[in-house]
Parts: sequence; C-alpha cells; structure tokens
Amino acid sequence: MNTMQSLPLLQNALTVGAILFSLGLVGILTRRNLIVMFLAAEMMLQGISVSLVAWSRYHGDWGGHVLVIFVLTVAACEAAVALVFVLQAFSRTGRLDSAAWQSLREATVGRTVDHELPSIDTVPPRFPTLTPAGILPAADENEPLQREHV
Amino acid sequence: MQEFSPSTLLALVPLLPLAGAILTVLLGRQLGAKAHLPAIAGIAGAAAVAVMLLVATARDVAPADGVHAEPVRPVEMIATLWNWATFDSAYAPPPGSPAADTRLSPQELAAGKDARAFSIPVALRLDPLTATMLTIITCVGLLVAIYSTGYMHDDPGYPRFFALVAMFVFSMSMLVAASNFLLVYVFWEAVGACSYLLIGFWFTKPEAARAAKKAFLVNRIGDFGLAIAVFLLWMTYGTLDFHDTISSDGVIMPGILGQTRLADAAGYVGGVLGTAICLLLLLAACGKSAQLPLHVWLPDAMEGPTPASALIHAATMVTAGIYLITRSAPLFAACPGALTVVSIVGATTALVAALIGTVQNDLKRVLAYSTISQLGYMFASLGTGTMLGFTAAIFHLLTHACFKALLFLGAGSVMHAMGGVIDMRRFGGLRRVMPITAATFLVGAAALAGVAPFAGFFSKDEILAALHAKAWPAAHGDHHASATAGEAFHLASFASDSAQSAGVAVGLDALDRPETWQILFWMSLITAGLTAFYTFRAVFMTFTGPTRVPEGAHGHGHSHDAGHADHGHDSHHGHDGHLADSYESPWAMTLPLVILAVPSALIGWLLFSTNWLAHFLSATPSLTAPAVAATATPHAFHMNLAIQGTLAAAIGIVVAAIGHLGQRSDGPQLERFLGPLQTLFSNTFYFDQIYSALVVRPLEGLALVAALFDRYVIDGTVDAIAGIPVALGGIVRRSQSGLLQRYALAGVMGVLAIVVLLAWQLRG
Repeated sequence: MNTMQSLPLLQNALTVGAILFSLGLVGILTRRNLIVMFLAAEMMLQGISVSLVAWSRYHGDWGGHVLVIFVLTVAACEAAVALVFVLQAFSRTGRLDSAAWQSLREATVGRTVDHELPSIDTVPPRFPTLTPAGILPAADENEPLQREHV
Repeated sequence: MQEFSPSTLLALVPLLPLAGAILTVLLGRQLGAKAHLPAIAGIAGAAAVAVMLLVATARDVAPADGVHAEPVRPVEMIATLWNWATFDSAYAPPPGSPAADTRLSPQELAAGKDARAFSIPVALRLDPLTATMLTIITCVGLLVAIYSTGYMHDDPGYPRFFALVAMFVFSMSMLVAASNFLLVYVFWEAVGACSYLLIGFWFTKPEAARAAKKAFLVNRIGDFGLAIAVFLLWMTYGTLDFHDTISSDGVIMPGILGQTRLADAAGYVGGVLGTAICLLLLLAACGKSAQLPLHVWLPDAMEGPTPASALIHAATMVTAGIYLITRSAPLFAACPGALTVVSIVGATTALVAALIGTVQNDLKRVLAYSTISQLGYMFASLGTGTMLGFTAAIFHLLTHACFKALLFLGAGSVMHAMGGVIDMRRFGGLRRVMPITAATFLVGAAALAGVAPFAGFFSKDEILAALHAKAWPAAHGDHHASATAGEAFHLASFASDSAQSAGVAVGLDALDRPETWQILFWMSLITAGLTAFYTFRAVFMTFTGPTRVPEGAHGHGHSHDAGHADHGHDSHHGHDGHLADSYESPWAMTLPLVILAVPSALIGWLLFSTNWLAHFLSATPSLTAPAVAATATPHAFHMNLAIQGTLAAAIGIVVAAIGHLGQRSDGPQLERFLGPLQTLFSNTFYFDQIYSALVVRPLEGLALVAALFDRYVIDGTVDAIAGIPVALGGIVRRSQSGLLQRYALAGVMGVLAIVVLLAWQLRG
C-alpha cells in the first residue's frame, strides 16, 4: 500500500475516534447502571482503537494495527473481570445502581440520595374484620323473632 | 571564746538559727513532737553568742567621762564572709565633675583613679547598735520559741512553725548585721516573706490568707521605696557599703557610713537628692513598721498565731524601720526637712492608732494598734535628729520589745485558755483563774502605760524630753539649738543643681520650726494618756469583774467533765455556772511570761539611772557623725516632763477604771460617751475603705479587663487562626462523596484543564 495517505482522511478518522471516545467518557460519567457504564468504557476503548488505526494508516506503519489487536484482547479480558465484579456487586445489594456504593465517603458528608422510594411499611394497614361467611350470627334468645308492631 | 575570733562569732549569730531552720525542714516529720529542738537549739546558741558579743562590744566602748562630752570613739568590727559579685569599673563619675565631688574620695582622686568597681561583699558589721538589736532579736526569739512549744502543741503544722521562726531570726539577724545596703534590702524582703508565711500559717482559713497577702503587698510598697533609695545611694555615693573598704592598691574607698565619710564635714549630700533619699527610706520604714498610711496590714496580721505576732509584729520585724533610720542617721542629719517629716508621720500615727485602739474589743487588736502607736512614738523621737532622740528611740525599742512581747504572749495565754476566743466581751474576771498570766499582764500593761518605775515610763520620758528640747529650745539652754544643727551641716552637693536644690529643700525645711515641734509634743502627751486608757481598759475588761469563760475553754480541775469541746464552738446551752478551778496555761507558756516580766519592770530604771544605753549607743559609727554627736546633751531627769507624763497616764487609768473596772467591765459606757466618733474609730478612720476604693477596686477592674482581653481577644485570635484550616477542610471535605462517578469527573476536569492549557500555549 501507499506510504503516505491523505491528510483529510486522517483528520476525519481522528474525529470519529474522538467522538467515540468522548461519548464513552460522557457515558461513564453520567450513566448509573453498572453494565451501561461498562459498555461506555468499551466504547472509549474502540475510539482509541480507531485513532490508532488512523495513525497507523497515515504513517504506512503496522504498529498501530498491532496495538489495536492488543487493545481488543485486553478489552475482552477486562470485560470478563468487570462483569464478575458487576455480578458480585449485584448479589450484595440487589441493585445495579452505582450510587448504591457510597460507603467510602467522609463521615460528615451525608448519603447522596436523588430520589426517595416510598418506604414499605412493615406494619400492614388495618383492614376491617368481617364475620366469616357461612356462619350464622349469634342470636339473642330474648329478642322476638318478629317485630311487635309495624 | 578565745578560740573563736569575733568575726566567726558574729557570723554564728545568723547562721545557727539558719542551721536550725534547715534541720527542722529536713527532720521535722521524723521528730514529731520534738520538732522544736533544732530551732530552739539554734536560737539559743545565737542568743548566747549575741550576749557574748554585747559584752565584748561594751568593753570596747570607752567609759563615760561623766562631765564633758568629748567625742566618743566609734566602735565597729567588720567581718567579711565572701564577695558576692564584682563588676570592675562599674562606677565612673561623669567628666567635668567638680573636684569636690563626694562620690570618689579625695584619696582615690589623688591616686589617679577615675573609676571604681561595684562589688557586693557579704560583710557583717558589729557595732553597739547591732549588738543591741541582735540581743533583743535572739533573746525574744528564744522566749517566743519556748512559749510556742506550749501554744502550738496540737497543731499539725508544728515543725513548719519552728522552721519559720528560726528562718525569721536568721533573716532579721542578717538584716541588722549586714554592712551593705543591698544586703539590707535582701533581708528586708526576707523578713517580709517570713512574715507572710507566718501570718498565713493557717492558710486554709480565708481571712488568714487574705491578711497575709495584704501584709506582703503593703510591705512591697515600702520595699519599692527602699529599692529606689538604694539606686539613688549608689548614684550619689558610688558604693553601697556601710564601711570603708581598701582596694588592692591600698586606696581607701569610703563607705556610706564609714569612718572616713563620717569624719568628713562635707561627706553627706543634702538638698533635693538627699531629701529624696531620706524620704524614700522613710517610705520603706513606714511599710515595715506600719506607720501611716501603710499601717493597714498590722491589725489584720493578728490572724497569725499569737507567738508569731509577739515576735514579728511587736518586738522585731516592725523595728526594722527604726533600725534603718537610726543606721542612716548621718544621711538624715543633712536634711532637716526629712527629719521633721519623720516626726510628723510618727506622732500622727501614734495619735490615730491610739484613738482606734480605744474602741477595739479584740484583745489582740488592741495590742496591734498599741504597737503601731508605740512605733509612732519611736519615729517621732527619731525625727528630732538629736543624739537624745536617737538613743531614746532605741531605748524605747528595747523596752517595747520586752513589754509588748510580754503582752502578746499573755494575750496568747488567755486565748489558748479560752479555747480560741479573744473577744474581751465574752470573758471576764480571769485574774482569779489565771493568776500568773494576770500578774505578768498587769506588769506589761503598767510598763506600756508609762507607770513609774516600770520600763515604759523611763523610755517614754526620754522621748518626751527629746521632743520638748526641740519644741522649747531656749528652756534646754545649751550648746546647739536643734533648729540650727541641720543648717550647720547642710551641704551643697553638685554645682549644677544647688540653686534648684535650695528651692525645694527649703520648702520642707520650713517645717522644722519650734511651733511644729510643740504641736507634736502635745500630740505625744495626749497619746500617752490614751495609751494608758486603752491598755487598762483591756486589763479591766479581761481580768476584773465577774468571772466568765466561754464554752470550749480549757480548764483544769473540773468538778464535772465538760469534755474537750471544739475550739471556739459554742453550744447553745451555756454552762456558765460551772467553772474549772484554773485555766492557767502550762509552764512552757507561763515561764516566758515571768521571764519577760522582769526586764519589763526593771530594765528601764537600770538603763536610765546609769545612762549606760545612751553612752553605749553613742559609740555607734552612725551616731558619731558630727551632725548628730554635736547635739548630745548631758543626761538629766526632767522632773516636769515626768510629772506631765505620769499625770497623763494617771488620767487615762482613772478614766478606764471609771468606765470598765469591776462590775462595769463590759458595759457600753465607751460607746455612749464617744457617740458618732465610735463609728469613726471602729472603722479605723476608713483607711481600709479608702484603700479599697482607690487602689483595690481599680486594680480588680484592671485585672478583669485584662482577663477578658486575654480570653476573648488573644485566645480568640489564636482560635480563629486555628479555625482556618478547619473551615477550609470542611469545604474540601464535601467533595469526598463516595460516588465513583464524581471522582472520575474530577479527574476528567483536570485532564481538560491540561488540554486547554497545552492548546493555548501551542496556539499562542
């Protein structure tokens, strides 16, 4: 292949890589779901890979391509480890919310809560008690069976 | 005695009590009830040595010639122990000083010296005045120590008391023996400290602690005067030694009271500087000897144990002021105005204190005001500036030490027997149950009142004679009218301020007129009458009338067991009907009373008739100064003065008897007679209230302001500075939320900042 590629191609490719990286960065910073955070991290890695390939083609070198293969391998291993971590986190709290893990804060700083779930009462509400069906009500023996007068 | 040199003996007098004090401090707890032994041994040894030195000095004094007063040769013996400090060439008079500068001596100027070293030798000096004072201090100290073995018997602080008494005897002995003004200052402070410790002996009692603090602070004002006087003396005379010293190359350096300067007619500085020095010395003496207006500490000092009052506030410490002025007699003789001020202060104090003493109901307070009054007498006598005045003052000091110590110890005996009660209205008629105390107290009271032929009569007569000689000089004829004695030796000091000094010095010197002395004479005579009155009022209220004792009194020979009630506790059910057979104190307390009664009765007549004391004291170097020695008059018994004094005393005793003898012993006659004056006297002329308003309250206010400033401004500033990191930390801490994404955000922001910075630098 040619040793020198055109500059606009490089610029465009780098732009794409930068966009992917930025989107991934924003995703990590804003999304709270642990799995989605991991997806965004993967996207950052892909953005880096695109940049590496673009530079490699520009210089006519194979170094960037090789490094991308490394990056993909590492990304796969990292995915395995990260998902184990996410599973552990979920099994401890039952939630995939990254905001559930705030224990390493300063003692005087309060827990950051952005929405309140309604608390579930442990005491059930009082329901009226009815007489069970199929049982005659207790009769008063002294009460006449018929009204005395209309 | 042959194997000890006199200087060793002189050094032993203070050192033996010091050794006794140190041993008592180290071994007191172990000795327990015998803790008095080291102190008594030390003081007894010192007393024996002091008497030996007195005899030796008396042998050195040439016998009196009887007819003519030829100049008496001064007698002194210096014992230099060691040199405390030396600063070479510390003193150099300014260039251009006139040749007649009094600071460097002619011998030094002739030897070409222009600077003198400042050295403080620890030197003791033995001369007749010192020998007399040492004898008084150690002998009275010994008797008080023996008395205290009985009085302080059950006190838990028994060893501490004896250590303090021995320490006091050491300090006072060094004060009167020291031959250097700086040493005098050191031991002046030391006796003040011992007085503080002894007044506050029962420091857990708030009144005692307060009284001790008051005594020390009032003394401090006097000490300030003495310190400034020492500075001025150094500036004026170039040395602080009393005696002449010889430098290593044989040049004599005259001391302030050394024989070189005393023989020199122009040796002493008068004018403004001299008067200032003398008035500052008077301030120091007023503080220590409880004269107006620094007398307020002595009545409160009665909170201390009675033996301490007898030793310190009657016989010895309060006489330090008298000693200082007598020692500085040549300095005062050059300033007649200062001498007159001394007499005015003394006579006024005597009268005011006597008036206050007439209405006191507390026996010890009566004696305290009596002490102030008698010291006033001594000051009045010192201020006459004549040889008769100085010797009469020391004579009265000696007799006063005897009878006042006797009276205080007697009051202590009464207080001990009555279980701590000393208010005279609560007991009476004690002569039947405390005969020895009553008899010796009566002897002391007669001596104090000036009843012939007891000791006080003769010494008071001499004082009145000295005042009379100044008031009516023509009646006394002879060589030197005292009004001119001061002028004849009025010395110009420095050319620069002689004109100025003449102006101010003459102002005070104008007080030195016969009219002033006449007023002072009549004041003293009235005071003599008042003295007899309040003394015998106390005697009658305590020892005559129906016999009553308060509950809790210790008696012997009870018919029923009254038990040992707590000291001073009153049960609500009186047991007045049951009196013990005797309330007399143990022999350890009555023996000193009897011993002291002998000189109280006899010593006045003995010393007066032979004129031994006056002749002995005239050989003191300070009193051989021409200004003082020239005023010596032949010894005479002034019959008219004796009659006047006895008449005043008799009137006082008769009025006291009318008011308080026998059945009328506790009646309110005095209060009814005095009316509104009663309030004035019993509130001590409102001196305490004036001090409180002028000095104490402003100082407390200042202390409060300082405390608030310290707490809110200084501490507030420090706390504010310390609070800055805390506040900053509080702000920064809020970023540690524990939320992972916020931490990541912080990192991203940092990266962004770096990227922007790099882009900006690469672009620009």
